[in-house]
Amino acid sequence: MMSTIGGLLSHLPRRATLFAAIVATLPIVGPGVAGAQTILNVAQSRDPQNLDPIDTFRLAWGSVASNIFDGLIHRTEDLELEPGLATSWEFLDDDTRIRFHLREGVVFHNGEPFNAAAVQYTFERLLGEAGAAGPQRANYTSISAIEVVDEFTVDFLMNQPDPVLITKLAGYGAMIVPPQYIEEVGEEAFDMHPVGTGPFQVVEYSPTIGLELARFDGYWNGQAQVDGVNIRFIPEAATRMSELLSGGVDISLDIETTSVDTIRNNANVDLVTVDGPSVTILRFNTSEGITQDPQVRRAITMAIDRPTIIEAMLGGLASPISSAQGSGSFGYDPELSPYDYDPEGARALLAAAGIEPGTEITLDMNNSNDTFREISQVIAAYLSQVGLELNIRSHETSVYFNDILANGRTGEMFLFGWGGWTFDFDNTAYLLYHTGERNNPYIDDAHLNALLELERSTYDVDVREQALQDVAAYAHENALDLPLYNTSTLYGVNQRVEGFVPAPDLRMRYMDITVN
Amino acid sequence: MAEQTQNLPARTRFRLKYRRFFKFEFLLGALLTGVLGTLVILSTWIFPEGGRSVDLLARLTPPFLSWEHPLGTDPLGRDILERVILGGRISFAVGLLSAAGAVLLGTVIGLLAGYYRGIWDTLIMRFADIQLALPFILLAITVIAIVGPGIDRIIVLMIVSQWVQYARLVRSSVLSLREREFVQAARSYGLRDRKIIFGHILPNALGPLIILLTLNVANNILLESSLTFLGLGADPQTPTWGGMLSEGRNYIQTAWWVTVFPGVTIMLTVLGLNLMGDWLRDELDPLGRTSR
Repeated sequence: MMSTIGGLLSHLPRRATLFAAIVATLPIVGPGVAGAQTILNVAQSRDPQNLDPIDTFRLAWGSVASNIFDGLIHRTEDLELEPGLATSWEFLDDDTRIRFHLREGVVFHNGEPFNAAAVQYTFERLLGEAGAAGPQRANYTSISAIEVVDEFTVDFLMNQPDPVLITKLAGYGAMIVPPQYIEEVGEEAFDMHPVGTGPFQVVEYSPTIGLELARFDGYWNGQAQVDGVNIRFIPEAATRMSELLSGGVDISLDIETTSVDTIRNNANVDLVTVDGPSVTILRFNTSEGITQDPQVRRAITMAIDRPTIIEAMLGGLASPISSAQGSGSFGYDPELSPYDYDPEGARALLAAAGIEPGTEITLDMNNSNDTFREISQVIAAYLSQVGLELNIRSHETSVYFNDILANGRTGEMFLFGWGGWTFDFDNTAYLLYHTGERNNPYIDDAHLNALLELERSTYDVDVREQALQDVAAYAHENALDLPLYNTSTLYGVNQRVEGFVPAPDLRMRYMDITVN
Repeated sequence: MAEQTQNLPARTRFRLKYRRFFKFEFLLGALLTGVLGTLVILSTWIFPEGGRSVDLLARLTPPFLSWEHPLGTDPLGRDILERVILGGRISFAVGLLSAAGAVLLGTVIGLLAGYYRGIWDTLIMRFADIQLALPFILLAITVIAIVGPGIDRIIVLMIVSQWVQYARLVRSSVLSLREREFVQAARSYGLRDRKIIFGHILPNALGPLIILLTLNVANNILLESSLTFLGLGADPQTPTWGGMLSEGRNYIQTAWWVTVFPGVTIMLTVLGLNLMGDWLRDELDPLGRTSR
């Protein structure tokens, strides 16, 4: 019948055809949508590049995909762990077996049912060939096998204790994926158009441009307030700001600290901040140059007035740290305080180490960090006051991380920023200090290795906390790196948005947000 | 002609003799380039601190409020006037050195290729065609990613990518000049090739070369700014115009002066150089001179 109408209409002028076509479709969708569609517009700086949970470690993925997928465990914006697709879990057989009881009646966006087979498929895929190609597998190798007990009960068999596993099941690689759908469309199609159990489903993903999400009406845990979310990837900070201020987007993630005043001076947009996991540290080349000497490293640390940098350059939106973790992190020791600003002491230490005034040192960094580009120059000014001339080399981001840093081709100092989304020092400390880690080109210390292996092998909370605090204290004592600050996560939110809850880990969930 | 002008008053004679300098393009161009150039040359002595003295308490001071910071300060509390003037050092150095390097290399290759022709001419010119098809910024990003950032590399890159223009220009002049009577005559005297090329051909090919050179200096200053803006150029502490623009863009809504002053300076410099280039083109154009 439609085709006949189309055939008749094709004889009419073009505009009339279009109008008639719209009228013809109205009765079909009309009753479902009472008013106009409400779409939430969001800007974020980066494109996740791949939406498959096992192929990513990017925060940009967390910001979009937390709306598409669920894990067995759910972590709230207050960082509390609560039941997700699993309703409860228990440790059996001396902690070598963890049994999960699954939620019934959950479906994927394509109508496929969620059950124990889906859980088994998800983890066998993660730990198997498909997972080996991505960065997520390494986080879950403590799992040796998955056993299906019945349709809604599943057992995880453990190789070794993994104290952070329950947290890790709430994020990234552990998101539950649909077996039939992946087998049907293949791995590559799943990267671009994934299906999960979350409150929104993917409509279209256009790499480097944006991602369109639509509300999934069959969601198990309530209904999203908006009909859709339109996420745009805007790398340039100034453009993101213009879009936010002009109302082109309702929410902007990845607000640069340099833009804070602009937002505060604008009546239509609010700045929303929350303590985040992101720490910025300078690491030292401990195997070459003058920074081999712990005295020199400590002198450099003492030469930089971090509280002033935080006040003046970061608008107070950061806290000083004594190790590479914020105060919300497991393993944080409030007793351990950062080295005080003491240029006199720094000069004395440098003189004792035999460093001539005017000695040049080099700091390597990536060029995509506007805030740090400014701070690096303040650091240079502080260092010149104790007689060290700092050269700053900025590199293209992927060159920096894949070559300069990974291959140990840095100068005396290099920039490292990390946001351990688990809020457990384990993840950060291991990759910073354990021998042979990709982000640790220089440190090879048996004492640190022993502590890190100890905390990874026990469920005993006290032993783990002590070991992690010991790692932090040892790094501090030897000035292995220069912890600068723990930045707040910043969001710019238009006042027409209601119900916005800032996610400290940038894993945004848009389902409870309304747009007026 | 000479007898007629002698009867005129001295002032008019002076104006007639130097009338080519009483043109708007030349006066404005010379004024802009002269003032900026002098400031830049003297900047090292005027501002021995090198524009690096950070003062966090004075950050983002607006302009025109005090003699201490007449053009205001940037996000690190550094004086904008000081940095704009010092920034000219890099811009002028890159503009002049890269143009000079490219003109030397291009001229020699163009002269040899055009004079001797043959297989080398074909090879070099085809290579030049290929190189003209490579976008410079893309090439720069790739090379900098491999060898690391630095102003010296930027200059080498510019020379490597711009010699082609000069080589093609010189070669085409040489192709017609080498068949002219005075060159044939020189050859029949038994002069050596080197003398013919540098003594007879080169001087006659200089006109268009100089014009291209002035235009390219301006162009290179803009290119340097773009590259530093992208973070591929100098150390961020070194004041450069492109770097200042890049740092100021996050503040454009709250502190316009951080970007506007270096931006205006780039514009004035390029305008000055282009005006001089226009004037030179008119002066060196044989047809333009006879029609006057």
